[in-house]
Amino acid sequence: MTAQLIPDRPAPARARRPKRTYAASFMYDTPGPRGRRNVLLGSLISCVAFAAIIGYGIWQLASHGQFAAERWAPFTDWAIWQYLLVGLLGTLEAAAIVAVLGGALGIVLALGRLSRLRPVRWLCGFYIEVARTIPVLLMIYLMLFGLPQLGINLPTLWKLVVPLTIANSAVFAEIVRAGVLSLPRGQREAALSLGMRPVQAMRHVVLPQALRNVAPSLVTQLVSLLKDTSLGYIVAFTELLYRGQVLASYLHLLIPTYVAVTVIYLVVNGSLSALASRLQRGSRRGSRRRPSTQPPLPPLPATPHQEESHA
Amino acid sequence: MNPLIDNLGPLVQALGTTLLMAVVAGIGSIVLGVLITIARVSPIPILRTAAFLYVQFFINVPLLALLLLAVFALPDAGLLLPLTPTAIIVLTVYEAAYVAEAVRSGVNTVPVGQVEAARALGFTLAKTLRLVVVPQALRAVVQPIGNVMIALAMNTALAAAVGVVELTAEVNKVNLVAAQPILIFSSAGLVYMAIALTIGLAAGWVERKVAIAR
Amino acid sequence: MTRSTTRRKAAFAGALLAAVTLAVTACSSGSTNLPGSGSSSTSSTDAVFSGAPVASADLIISGSTMEKIKKRGKLVVAEALDAPLLSQQDPTNPDSVTGFDADLAKLLAIYILGKPNVEIVPPASETREAMLQNGTVDVVFNTYTITEERAQQVDFAGPYFESGLAVAVKSDNKDITSSKDLDGKTVIVGANTPAVTEVPKIAPTATVTAFATDPAAVQALIQGRGDAYVQDYTLLASDAASEKQIKVVGQPFTKEPYGIGLKHGDSDFKSFVNDWLTKIQKGGQWGQAWKTTLGTVTDSAIPTPPKIGSVPGS
Repeated sequence: MTAQLIPDRPAPARARRPKRTYAASFMYDTPGPRGRRNVLLGSLISCVAFAAIIGYGIWQLASHGQFAAERWAPFTDWAIWQYLLVGLLGTLEAAAIVAVLGGALGIVLALGRLSRLRPVRWLCGFYIEVARTIPVLLMIYLMLFGLPQLGINLPTLWKLVVPLTIANSAVFAEIVRAGVLSLPRGQREAALSLGMRPVQAMRHVVLPQALRNVAPSLVTQLVSLLKDTSLGYIVAFTELLYRGQVLASYLHLLIPTYVAVTVIYLVVNGSLSALASRLQRGSRRGSRRRPSTQPPLPPLPATPHQEESHA
Repeated sequence: MNPLIDNLGPLVQALGTTLLMAVVAGIGSIVLGVLITIARVSPIPILRTAAFLYVQFFINVPLLALLLLAVFALPDAGLLLPLTPTAIIVLTVYEAAYVAEAVRSGVNTVPVGQVEAARALGFTLAKTLRLVVVPQALRAVVQPIGNVMIALAMNTALAAAVGVVELTAEVNKVNLVAAQPILIFSSAGLVYMAIALTIGLAAGWVERKVAIAR
Repeated sequence: MTRSTTRRKAAFAGALLAAVTLAVTACSSGSTNLPGSGSSSTSSTDAVFSGAPVASADLIISGSTMEKIKKRGKLVVAEALDAPLLSQQDPTNPDSVTGFDADLAKLLAIYILGKPNVEIVPPASETREAMLQNGTVDVVFNTYTITEERAQQVDFAGPYFESGLAVAVKSDNKDITSSKDLDGKTVIVGANTPAVTEVPKIAPTATVTAFATDPAAVQALIQGRGDAYVQDYTLLASDAASEKQIKVVGQPFTKEPYGIGLKHGDSDFKSFVNDWLTKIQKGGQWGQAWKTTLGTVTDSAIPTPPKIGSVPGS
């Protein structure tokens, strides 16, 4: 059953609720005739406003010749797209490695910062604060300039991955910590009172729920990370945005190239977010436990979306 | 220390531009982000869809591409503004999507019982949002919004690619002549660190002030 | 939805991703040749390399950088991939990087190794000195202007080419006819180019706006975000050739000597490279390289190469 006032994705069309309600609609009484009329008016006005703005923009662009065929002709070549897609592979490769390493390290750091031992808490806190505030660009520079003088020469991929992991693990740690802290304390207390050790309580009760609660933030950070890999140009790592730059100077065409790059990012990141929320929704529905933020109230009338709330 | 001290005037001015962009875009993006989250619970379906698409678009597209398109494609679409305001607007619009996502997860941590109680008391949607939901949501996501503000401050460096004279652009210019990248970029990095630290401390202070015992 | 369904979906997504990856990399392993793509004719560039000199064995001093390069089998060069006419990667054939800097790098590789085995590491302009100091690259061929400040961090062989900054304006602009008319105007420059410091020298009252890439600066000029664009004259010529809305006015008003960046203090390698430079200038390969790249956008004859060591810092 869904505890989210604003779900990750709008409800699918085959939802069992009547057409005019949506997840957060229980915030107010079902609108009467005047309310429905106002909603309709508002919909019409917004529709017309959006259409007008978009239409005006397209008309202006066309009148400046931005839609001329020869500006977009190079993008009918598969070779051009292939060039960009190989760059995309580099981006994905770096992002995947950073996500795995950074995520694992982030969870460890978050748990460390919540530990009962003060030195551990202090150490993890210090690392998180420092890693979060140093700009990633600077970290890459430091690795690029400093490490070889110590004799360490990393391959290009790791010159990008290591600084990104350090920076992102701190951000992941903060997100996970926020999730754990937002969980009612009763969950941990109940687990401990059942005889679980603190580590077990964390692993089986607190952490899964916390991660589920902050999953949107984690996915957002993952997408942000994918875009951060564009800093690879400093270490000459083959990735999408730099390849877009090379393409723009080859074709002498700025806007179509960056529109193409934007579309690729949109498709990749969009599907990543969609995939993540689909997996998350599936796993949430699969677990038959009632989510922690939902107190066990009997369902109110005229709020059909709560049908699934029976444990 | 020499090249930095020789160019202290322009560097401080560029730092001013950076801070201006960060502050204006920061406030703007928080306001816009909350409005977008409100649009996602509004009864008008078009607004809900538009808000959803807005967030999805700006979260999934890199900022540099957006800056370039805004600076170079928008004038052809009929909107020509000076560079710094354009950069501020793009930063606001971009980070607002992140703020909206953060506020959304905050709204989702508000217990449903709160909303049901508000409704039982006869609050309208606007009142429920203003008095019950949004304050509690914001309280829950002070740190994530702090993260977004830090990211915003770091992202102002990208405006250098489109001609805004801010700290990174000025530092690159100094390095062009002096050719001492480690010294110059480390100092610039320290300045950015100081900005991020300030924002982090501010977020921590706000979090402590609005914290409640659970 | 049960957990096994979720796992199956995740596995399916992973398999799909792997399949796409295989498809893209499989296609990219062979180079595609599209008709009419790219104007670089491989036959004329082959003429540049066919008679290129190769160093005799006694010139490769044992223990020197040259011997290290020869053992490694390839020359690691820091050069751009997005500088048309100088070193531009062809997206339809990513192995092919053409341009003046790129050709000279290949000629140096032939001199040391006998074959143009070049590995290109595109630098960010602020990392060039560090890359040389760390040994990440052997040489820098990146329109690297010789200055005395830089000469304290790296060594320069050459200069191998003398360029200059010129002014471009919109085609219908009658006010600006040379670099002397820039006072009080808004001037666009490329970030990290010599124009950043030169324009304030000749036009102290001009407002300077810097853009990161050349296409961005050209677009800014066309849109009226500036009155003029100051950049290397060969780059401007190439831009004006492909973009009818801008034109180059006046003559180059500065002298920018380009040098080959080398690790600081490596005098053996420096004299070796200067030796090579003299040889290809005498042998005509330098002129041929110029003709097939920078020479394609101007009508002038092959210029005389600058005298090696003639610039302070080289």
